[in-house]
Amino acid sequence: MAVLHAWRTARVTPLGELHTPPRMTAVLLRLTVQVILVASLWHGLYSHTGTTAGLDVDQAVTYAVLAVLASRLRELDQFSGRDTVIQHMHFGTIVYWYLRPLPPQRYHALRALGEQLYGFAWALGGYVVCLAAGVVEPPKSAAVAGVFALSLVLGQLVLYFVMLVLDQLCFWTVRNNAAMLILIFAQNLLSGVYAPLWFFPDWFVTMSQFLPFQATLSVPLSLYIGRIPLSDAAGQLAIQAVWVVLLFLFTRFLWRRAARRVMSQGG
Amino acid sequence: MNAVRIAWRVTRLNFRAQLEYRTEFLLMIAIGAIWQVSVIVFATVLLTRFTGMGGWDSSEVLLIPATRMLAHGLFVLVLGRVHLVGRQIQEGKIDTYLLRPMPVHRQVQLAFFPTNAIGDLTVAVGLMAGALSRSNLDWTPGRISYLIAAILGGMLLEAALFTGVASACLRFPAADYWGRWLEELLGTFGSYPLNVLPKAVGGFLTYGLPLAFVAYFPAAILTGHGHDTGVPYWLAALSPLLGVLAYLGARLLWRWSLRHYTGVNG
Amino acid sequence: MDAGIEVRGLSRTFHTTVRRPGFTGALRSLVNPERVAKHAVSDVSFDVSPGELLALLGPNGAGKSTTIKILTGILTPTSGEARVAGVVPYEERERNARNIGAVFGQRTQLWWDLPVRESFAILRDIYEVPKAEHAARLKEFDDLLDLSSFWDTRVRHLSLGQRVRSDLAAALLHDPPVVFLDEPTIGMDVVVKEQVREFLRYQVEERGRTVLLTTHDMTEVERLSERVVLINHGRLVLDGSLDEIRRTFGSTWQVRATLADAHTDVAGLPGIAVLRHDGPQVVFGPDGPDAPTVHQALKAVIERYEVTGIAIDEADLEDVMRAAYVHAEAI
Repeated sequence: MAVLHAWRTARVTPLGELHTPPRMTAVLLRLTVQVILVASLWHGLYSHTGTTAGLDVDQAVTYAVLAVLASRLRELDQFSGRDTVIQHMHFGTIVYWYLRPLPPQRYHALRALGEQLYGFAWALGGYVVCLAAGVVEPPKSAAVAGVFALSLVLGQLVLYFVMLVLDQLCFWTVRNNAAMLILIFAQNLLSGVYAPLWFFPDWFVTMSQFLPFQATLSVPLSLYIGRIPLSDAAGQLAIQAVWVVLLFLFTRFLWRRAARRVMSQGG
Repeated sequence: MNAVRIAWRVTRLNFRAQLEYRTEFLLMIAIGAIWQVSVIVFATVLLTRFTGMGGWDSSEVLLIPATRMLAHGLFVLVLGRVHLVGRQIQEGKIDTYLLRPMPVHRQVQLAFFPTNAIGDLTVAVGLMAGALSRSNLDWTPGRISYLIAAILGGMLLEAALFTGVASACLRFPAADYWGRWLEELLGTFGSYPLNVLPKAVGGFLTYGLPLAFVAYFPAAILTGHGHDTGVPYWLAALSPLLGVLAYLGARLLWRWSLRHYTGVNG
Repeated sequence: MDAGIEVRGLSRTFHTTVRRPGFTGALRSLVNPERVAKHAVSDVSFDVSPGELLALLGPNGAGKSTTIKILTGILTPTSGEARVAGVVPYEERERNARNIGAVFGQRTQLWWDLPVRESFAILRDIYEVPKAEHAARLKEFDDLLDLSSFWDTRVRHLSLGQRVRSDLAAALLHDPPVVFLDEPTIGMDVVVKEQVREFLRYQVEERGRTVLLTTHDMTEVERLSERVVLINHGRLVLDGSLDEIRRTFGSTWQVRATLADAHTDVAGLPGIAVLRHDGPQVVFGPDGPDAPTVHQALKAVIERYEVTGIAIDEADLEDVMRAAYVHAEAI
């Protein structure tokens, strides 16, 4: 039975998307245009430069395109489904999360899992097309591919927890829309979606090493393009794993506080 | 005059409303600082890495993100709420607005006070100050006036684009999705000399999505790169005016769409 | 398992920040917030027997929703105790969740982007309802609520009436013995309202569910419930049958009689006063706390006087409640 409700809950997002074909067309168009723009931008930037920050043009383009694809993993229009914490707080429907025999934290995790798997299908499709078109380079070796896959999974876990913290914030401040946007921007910047972290000044790189954001994207992509050599991979994977554990404990703590808050305020 | 008084009153109330939510307000200020640092780092990082980008030296390139950020900050402060039209439609707020004796567009703008604009503008002013101090140009009154005109034009152009999306939302609420993409595109591609891009892509960002007119063309005119932007010099030079025209056009479109507004869920 | 509800001395206090007026006031509240306590529910006790429908009444802000939230396990009381089907809801939320179904007015628990039937399927799996049982119950609900005409529509495209009917079905799909309904028919048209009432009556009478209902619609109360609990300012004002309420607050009946002989000497009867006397027209009304019911009064008047015509005006429940709320306000 547990499998059944997991399956039902996880497929809410993909099903919602399938019921709205225009949204899927929009995603396809946006992804295509974004990949073309990003690839040509990095080619353009590199036109007078050979190697900078330890990256050559192919590595930089591969990184940037993979970043666009990876950001699809969890970038769906959750708002339209009216199933975000902020909306439930706004409409007062959060009470139903606490009225079901399924713990809210598990419901949230299952929804995100379905969403991330659905996004992964898109990203994988995009990757195959880009690889065939020669926009991105294949991984250097099977070992690199394996380490990348592992790192990507860990990175997605870290990303889930970071997004979860943002969602959980809504239990305390209902009106943090703008704050959310800015934090999402910070996540994008510090995870290396906008530009590889290698380009940034040393102090910035050092600072981001103490933050969880780079573990979401920068680490797996750097492993893929070989900017982080395989010899350093174990350490990086360990740091990612530590973040997963820390954030898991932190968000579990926040879930408890959130439940206590709902129980004392009535949602 | 009465309209101005009401607008001012509502804005004051909105500002007070922002103060009501203590944590939120303090959080916004704290987060403004993070935003500030990251944007400046982001803008300068690529310039230091890729010197001579598109034949521009880095002090000249800096003028592009500075102009864009300042225009964007003003847009958020003055007209930024047009962004949220999609959501307001879904929540049925537009229907309420239509009942009141004030233009819907103005009510949208007066929906709340954009605390975050304070942060945006602080960053932008800082960045502009930095860009001007590093600039080797001779800042004659003519240049300064053109820069100011360009910033205002950029603001209006951005407002025009989002008003266009908002108008589309009035008819197809799902168009909200495109608004978020537009924002991302403006943020990502607004800060470079677009001649580093292939012709087709640059053309798309000029004629398809007129991003180039916000900051790139005006900066090119100011720094003397006006003849190699890929468009006729006069067109690039007229950027601020195009902003005004685009905004007027967008407002007409808005008015037309509002007349054809059917609401959601019957 | 006893599917009743027990509430003993329930209290709930909220702390809120006072907003000072004016601009400087707002700034001062920002720096130095002043907090006050608000007693949403104080010392409320009542019982609902298994298979009974109880209407929880009271003006807006009386503490009805707070009570329901405590009983559904969403809110912890400050003091006092509650048991729903033998479970303390705020201590064992998940166990309680399996025993109850709830609809909170216009707030929907359905998934906005999916057809209604998908929402039902998700809930079926969350509540672990066997497939056959689910199908059978869905069929039953469809017969009563006419769901199949719109259950393949996405929730965002439903009308209010359709959505509330779907929500009602969603809340009862796991066969909960206890059901909480917080203003379920608010804003609905008469036809849908009637359909929902029929559905609720069926659930209580045929399925033996215990229902706690809040509403402002007195027709609904009259049609559905035998017993009501009235609260105001968080306090219990009255717990009794509709008749008792009528007797306490609603003895505002009038008997209008036309006497055969206009010159009859008219005097009051025990518990009955003469309100007006104009020629042959006499209007009688209740007098004192032991006033008879309108039917007894009617009988008494006919027995005592020779009348050629008689009519009664009985205050309807709306009026009774108005009197009750005003009375509650006075204590």
